[in-house]
Amino acid sequence: MILRCRLAFLVSIIAANLAWAAHSFENTAIVRTAELGGSLVHVTTTYAIKALEPKASIYTVVLSPDEQEKTSWLEIRQKGRQAPLQVEAHELDAVNNVYLYNVQLPKALSTNETTNLIVETIQTHATYPWPEQAAQNDDQTLKYETDLYVLSPYKTAVQRSKIRALVPRILSYTTPEDIEFTTEIPVTKSGATVTYGPYHNIPPSSNSEFVQKHQKHVTVHYGHDFPCAQITKLKRAAEISHWGANLNINDDIVLHNGGPALKGHFSRLGYQSQTFYNRPAPTILNWFTLHLPAGIRNVYYYDLIGNVSTSRLRLAPSAPKTLTANPNQYSIMEVRPRYPVLGGWNYTFTLGWDAPLADSGSFDSKTGKYIVGVPVMTVLPDAVVEDAEVKIILPEGATDIEFFPPFPAKNQTISTHITYLDTVGRPALTFHYERLTDKHSGIIYVTYKVPFLAHLRKPLAVATAFIGLFVLAMGWRRVDTRLDTRQKL
Amino acid sequence: MADYSAIQALHKSAPAFSPYVPVGLLPYIAFVLLGGTFALAFYFSTLPKTTVPVQETLIASLASVLGGFGVVALFNSVGVYV
Repeated sequence: MILRCRLAFLVSIIAANLAWAAHSFENTAIVRTAELGGSLVHVTTTYAIKALEPKASIYTVVLSPDEQEKTSWLEIRQKGRQAPLQVEAHELDAVNNVYLYNVQLPKALSTNETTNLIVETIQTHATYPWPEQAAQNDDQTLKYETDLYVLSPYKTAVQRSKIRALVPRILSYTTPEDIEFTTEIPVTKSGATVTYGPYHNIPPSSNSEFVQKHQKHVTVHYGHDFPCAQITKLKRAAEISHWGANLNINDDIVLHNGGPALKGHFSRLGYQSQTFYNRPAPTILNWFTLHLPAGIRNVYYYDLIGNVSTSRLRLAPSAPKTLTANPNQYSIMEVRPRYPVLGGWNYTFTLGWDAPLADSGSFDSKTGKYIVGVPVMTVLPDAVVEDAEVKIILPEGATDIEFFPPFPAKNQTISTHITYLDTVGRPALTFHYERLTDKHSGIIYVTYKVPFLAHLRKPLAVATAFIGLFVLAMGWRRVDTRLDTRQKL
Repeated sequence: MADYSAIQALHKSAPAFSPYVPVGLLPYIAFVLLGGTFALAFYFSTLPKTTVPVQETLIASLASVLGGFGVVALFNSVGVYV
């Protein structure tokens, strides 16, 4: 009885909330552009909103459950401002089965005042190869599925969705039927863009009646001329050394080609003729470019068999972080796997380097804390990282450890890591992330203190080993180890 | 978020990390210290055997301390940044 009362209360609160939200704004126009890539889809939705009541400042953006599952990065900006807006973490509206994002406008709008909101999201695993298998020389075509209408709790005057591929090769697209919101053709295609719309006068759509009655699925089948790289697992270990003033970054990467699986056998002859006539097949991942930080040295790239020598590296000189000379200088590495990665194949390798600690570490003498910034990952453009683990290994004896990740991790742990010349072990922070995209290129800041005596721990440990040897020697000299005492010593 | 931008600003403004011993000197320091350890160990082996090993212990401790720092400097100069 009490539970039902509580449930009814909750439902009424949510319904009242939605009713209140539905009255304070109106969408004059919604334009959604989905830029199709290999494993990532970049969706930009622009809402032109008009406030219907004074002091309207909280706008609700709605995602369907399908969209919510695929979205792994979301940012909302107001047109004219660079900084992203404050977004309240999503809540599930269980009654209508949609996800609500409440965004706080920096300046409240008065009645009939308009502004533009830009919602950028990156969707992962939204495309899939179709046909699922392709021979070595075949074309690579992918399919993208999405909903026809952009859901919104407010009335919309006009709405259109554009789906744009990288190359103008659209094989097929769904033509929706029985659309009440337009009298013209519901879909048009020009070049690489398929436009659904414009649709006029759509009522508040973030409720289950609208979804059941009007919402449709559309599928676009397009050609994609670049290999779909995915990183199945990334394990990054960043080791900080104070004696050597060095930050070592070590990446263990499992690379996967997410395109159509190879049908038949891999023909080395066919592959050689492709490279000879310079006609690379879009399904084959031959090489990719990584932008490594400037000022690195001792770069190593090996896999299970051994060193991989088929890559090229152009180093950039170190840029101290206090100088604002050129913060965007990178060492360019053209990574070429040991074998061409065909559709469905994997390649596991290790890539790492040493960098001077002065480039990423600083010391705040007022609090006595060291601050080190470790990038979460080296971005591989248009690739999704399924499972990432970043382990930051601090020097021995580090205390007062605080960490500031750029975006919340799935979970984080502190453990003890033991390596060369360690006695008590070093504290190691491990962050677990899932489904990272190329927008997730942030820096994790860690602050810690190391007392002076902790720095001396290593030399004293080695000194203790030496003393042990000397004591052994002192004992050995005083013991008579002759077998025959008549023999001279 | 304010936390994050605060620590980012602090990281940019604080002076860069500088070790107690300049890294470029580490190979030479390693050579000198380990050379000293070797010389003292040789001298240790020539000392007379007394009942209370005062001189031996002193030389052994000195050699060990030099050897400790020397080995750490050696590790760093060959690329194992401990």
